[in-house]
Amino acid sequence: MMVGRPDKATPASTRQPVLTGALEDYLESIYLLEREHGFARVRDIARARGVKAGSVTPALKRLDEAGLVEYAQREYVKLTDQGNRAARRVLARHDLLKRFFEEVLQMEPGAAEREACAMEHSLSPQGMDGLVRFFEFLSICPEGLQGWLEKFHACAAVQSDGGSCDSSCSCYGDGERRRVPSIRLVDIEPGRAARVLQVDARGAVRQRLLDMGLLPGVEVRVERLAPGGDPIWIGLKGSQLALRSSEASAVMVEG
Amino acid sequence: MKALSAKTAPAPVRVALLGNPNCGKTTIFNALTGARQKVGNYPGVTVERRQGTCYQGEHCLELVDLPGTYSLTSYSPEEKITQEQVLAGGFDVVVVVVDSTMLGRSLVLLAQAMMVGVPLVLCLNMADEARQAGQQLDLRRMSSLLGMPVVETVGHRGQGIEQLRRAIVAQRTGGEHGHGLVLGRSLREALAAVSARLENLPQLYRGQRAWFALKLLLDEPRFVSLAGELGLQGARDEAARQRAALEVATGMDIGLYVTECFFGFVDGLLREVTLRPARADARSLSDRVDTVLAHRLLGLPIFGAVMFAIFWVTFTAGEIPMGWIEDGFTALGRWLGGLWPAGSESLLRSLLVDGVIGGVGGVVVFLPNILLLFLGLALLEDTGYLARAAFLMDRLMHRFGLHGKSFLPLLVGFGCSLPGIMATRTLENERDRLTTMLVLPLMSCGARLPVWLLLIPAFFPAAWQAPLLWLIYSVGIVLALGLAWLLRRTLFRGAEAPFVMELPPYRLPTLRAVTMKMAERCWLYLRKAGTMILAISILMWFITSYPKPDSEQLRSLPPAGSAAAAGQLERHQAADRLRHSLAGRLGTALEPVFAPLGFDWKLNTALIGAFAAKEVFVAQLGIVYSLGGVDEESPDLRQALRRDYTPLQALALMLFLLIGTPCMATFAITRRESGSIKWALLQLGGLTALAWLVALLVFQGGRLLGLG
Repeated sequence: MMVGRPDKATPASTRQPVLTGALEDYLESIYLLEREHGFARVRDIARARGVKAGSVTPALKRLDEAGLVEYAQREYVKLTDQGNRAARRVLARHDLLKRFFEEVLQMEPGAAEREACAMEHSLSPQGMDGLVRFFEFLSICPEGLQGWLEKFHACAAVQSDGGSCDSSCSCYGDGERRRVPSIRLVDIEPGRAARVLQVDARGAVRQRLLDMGLLPGVEVRVERLAPGGDPIWIGLKGSQLALRSSEASAVMVEG
Repeated sequence: MKALSAKTAPAPVRVALLGNPNCGKTTIFNALTGARQKVGNYPGVTVERRQGTCYQGEHCLELVDLPGTYSLTSYSPEEKITQEQVLAGGFDVVVVVVDSTMLGRSLVLLAQAMMVGVPLVLCLNMADEARQAGQQLDLRRMSSLLGMPVVETVGHRGQGIEQLRRAIVAQRTGGEHGHGLVLGRSLREALAAVSARLENLPQLYRGQRAWFALKLLLDEPRFVSLAGELGLQGARDEAARQRAALEVATGMDIGLYVTECFFGFVDGLLREVTLRPARADARSLSDRVDTVLAHRLLGLPIFGAVMFAIFWVTFTAGEIPMGWIEDGFTALGRWLGGLWPAGSESLLRSLLVDGVIGGVGGVVVFLPNILLLFLGLALLEDTGYLARAAFLMDRLMHRFGLHGKSFLPLLVGFGCSLPGIMATRTLENERDRLTTMLVLPLMSCGARLPVWLLLIPAFFPAAWQAPLLWLIYSVGIVLALGLAWLLRRTLFRGAEAPFVMELPPYRLPTLRAVTMKMAERCWLYLRKAGTMILAISILMWFITSYPKPDSEQLRSLPPAGSAAAAGQLERHQAADRLRHSLAGRLGTALEPVFAPLGFDWKLNTALIGAFAAKEVFVAQLGIVYSLGGVDEESPDLRQALRRDYTPLQALALMLFLLIGTPCMATFAITRRESGSIKWALLQLGGLTALAWLVALLVFQGGRLLGLG
């Protein structure tokens, strides 16, 4: 249970102390306490970890030596910048894992939490990176988490105790994949309604579109076009708006 | 010994009005302050600043009407100013005015204001419309959930104003201060984390940590750099971390997530307090009217007809009162002149009669036209038709870098630039407004018409006259559009402001609201006449009268002259005086500048006068040709001109007058509306330079082609 000593050869900014799982847990608790109350008392740390106050002190001393906390006073402890970063890293790992277990594998929240707690200390930076990117993909990909997960859980081949793929999930027609077409608001004809999927604009235009209520899930109706086809008059949730074609092109809808 | 203390009045309550565009905020402001208001600009920008006062009991309320905005952000000058004012303007109470028929969206601004942490009052305006649509709210519950007074008003009828004043005072003197804002837990936690790092905010923002934290979370450039300047790197970094975590956790961009949180709060609130929602078909009448008025094919012709009607009324109905005013000024001039003995050379008399009455009268005479024009514009705006017109015209305008709403001011400019420039206030975006203002004088205004009517028949055969007049107007339009396009690419370039425009339901304007608007604009016009124009009139009078030549320098009469000859002599003498005066000398001195354009000192002198007002051009020419009282119809003047100049010179001259020398009233109003003299100077200088160039090209080009 040795704490890595700060290596004099490497510059301070890249020193990454190697911590045990238990110490990382302490770091986590301190961080959460600081966030909640603004400070972390030894008493509270002990309570959070379910140990006696006396057991906390050696751990805090080691964290202090590693440059992650400032343990000068007897009652309080404060994270250093480095400690803050380290704690956040641990927490982020924890959250990510918990999310994976809960949302993707559909485990019960309690079980997901326990697994995450167990695994968070052994997840490598590469593993972490991979998970982060996987989640990014899930939120960007138009098919989204929902459709993909549904298929996973409906898949007879993997969910039941055996068997092969019988194409029983609804999205597999005759082996062809059906995609929900995503069109732009500007392509909708007057008189038709659509639901907003995404606002793909930037800066001031995006802000204005959002402020006016064009949020994902909102239903809009194209009322009419101006002479020349531009701007477009739409109705939504009780108000009427006019948008230029360029602005309406940034709004992705499903018809 | 106890000193007798006089009862001191309580300190004035500083109040700001905040709300979406089109929510009737300004009507409320007017209802509160009445005539006790002052309109100006925020320094250096075109954004209007309105302030005024009113009283409630012994309390004096100092009110500021903030620019309408949909959200407290910093993308446009208006939004920046509004946000800055709300955060650091030192207001005791902020009244959030919302359109009761659009609560689902307009309450988002309230939610943002709640986060800022200033004492608030919610004003549910247009309550009559909401009620008519069947909406019923539990106001008491709303008030307790939000932690602020909630007042229903009908601004354009003046209802609810008294209660509003009382609520403002109550809120100031330690009223309810609850923070009823409930946002999602993840957001709250993220904000708390960032807030914790904002220990040392300057006094200015001390009470607004939560808001500052939100802006850092949203990565709003202004706040990020401000944090940098204040040494709050820790907060910035924390905000970046929280933002990343939130985006991963929610799968949404942070801007979207925060907006959803605010909308979520509003939805939740409305669910709690709505006893009965508005009927779904509440807007149906308005919508049915729109199927015709905003029709893809019929819309534009209808708009054209409406504008034609407005102009027609303005210029025909305005004729009669114009005549009265003209007669009135003439009578005044005569009466004043009569106070001195006949033939008197008195300085004061000349100053008053020729300078002041001539100059100021020349501008005031247009008041009936202006009044009617503004009445028409106020009606268009208040009924909501203006938004439809912008919708129909935007495509064309946008091609040239203008906004759909630019069309109306430009069209009005065909009558007179002054109301046109004032009409640019309807443009929300500063760049659009400035571009429109700068090119507006190119719309050949009514005052130039006498010039065309003088010069065209004098120089061109009958068959050419109508086409030439049409050509002059068209050149103006083409140049305006081209110049606008150029300005948008150079001076006013930048990320384009969103067009996304709200189309309010049609409303019947009240006489009260419309006349207030009209009166305000007209008062500004008159005030302009009374100050800057008065000053310039005096200046013009001075340079055209002085220095006076000695009697030896004047031509004299052979002893046995007839009465007609005496009249002739008098006119010659007037011409000589003009030549000798400062204006005349300036005209002569400018000859080298204008010679390449084909102008001589006589035209130059008349052009100087044209700066004061275009009609003066004709009058000055008359004096130069010693023709006494002339107008554009005088055959003598036309002959005299034909004798001295060629058609080519006339064309160059007309183009110069069309493009350059915006009149001083235009200069004055541009300076006022743009908030800075540099734009007025740019307009003056730029257009005159362009005019010079065009006239040069036409004249020299024509000479090369052998056209004379």
